[in-house]
Amino acid sequence: MDAEAIINDYVSAEDLKKYEQLYINQEKRGVINEKTHFDYALCLVRSKYTNDIRKGIAFLQDILQKTNDDQSRRDYLYFLAVGYTKLKEYENALQYIKMVQSLQPENHQALSMEKYIKKKLTHEGLMGMAIIGGAALAVGGLVGLGVALAKK
Amino acid sequence: MDDQDILTTLKILIIGESGVGKSSLLLRFTDDTFDPEQASTIGVDFKVKTITVEGNNKAKLAIWDTAGQERFRTLTPSYYRGAQGVILVYDVSSKQSFNKLDAWLNELETFATKHDLVKMLVGNKIDKERREVSKEEGLKFARKHRMLFIEASAKTKEGVQYAFEELVEKIIQTPGLWETDKQGLKLSENASDGSYSACGGYCVI
Repeated sequence: MDAEAIINDYVSAEDLKKYEQLYINQEKRGVINEKTHFDYALCLVRSKYTNDIRKGIAFLQDILQKTNDDQSRRDYLYFLAVGYTKLKEYENALQYIKMVQSLQPENHQALSMEKYIKKKLTHEGLMGMAIIGGAALAVGGLVGLGVALAKK
Repeated sequence: MDDQDILTTLKILIIGESGVGKSSLLLRFTDDTFDPEQASTIGVDFKVKTITVEGNNKAKLAIWDTAGQERFRTLTPSYYRGAQGVILVYDVSSKQSFNKLDAWLNELETFATKHDLVKMLVGNKIDKERREVSKEEGLKFARKHRMLFIEASAKTKEGVQYAFEELVEKIIQTPGLWETDKQGLKLSENASDGSYSACGGYCVI
């Protein structure tokens, strides 16, 4: 699946460091422009580490609040969906990808990502049911054993 | 598709100015679709397509379609790493997109890791009536930079298939630029990490 490659794609350590430094430099001067904020956020959501991804998501939500541009909004929403998918928080991811689709219903990248997220949700749902089902079987087995023993 | 038949997996990159039709060329090639209202790419897009090369062998193409917009310029260079082939696109109805080719080649020179990678120059949108770049100009630029060249139209399909096939053929003919997947698969099986993904191990940087 095409979207899977996007989710399994990670930022390089050098890039993360480079854009973190640019961000820190601006932070020190007290003015962080949207571009620097976005570049760093983009690195963070593509990180291997959960804490980085969470930080990237917080940044994206921050710049999402501030922008008036539909194109920027689309991009931030899409990468929020990517971030949540990486965290395996598929319900959240689905919400954001649907927001991208409300801006651009025909966007094929969003469509591909939506399919991937839904597949993961279904899979997780099935796994959950399998666990519950397994537990029910085990309980049933124990009850059966109890009955059998009582009959003895 | 049985992975056993795959001779190799190749990483192909598509670059060029915003709006020249990179995604349209890709979607015409992989899905045989065309959307005149194609939205600008968010960051980078990815598609896989398997094609037949020399004899009965198959090559799996892992194609990364990069956003041309300035806002993603910080993101896209990381995709140059490991690419064996690149498709550089301009719009024949936009001189401006043609004038930017040098800058794109510079970026390629800076970030690509395989320096014998095969380059294909594509002049897209030949279906348009108003041309700003002649075929001769395109050819001259391609010759100067030792690139393959084709004019194409994602809208009418003309030249699209050829662009990808020629590029792949040239890669296959370049010794040392690619390896067979057979060994890669074995190594991956031995490691049994299950991380052998759709992009043939090229996407993890």
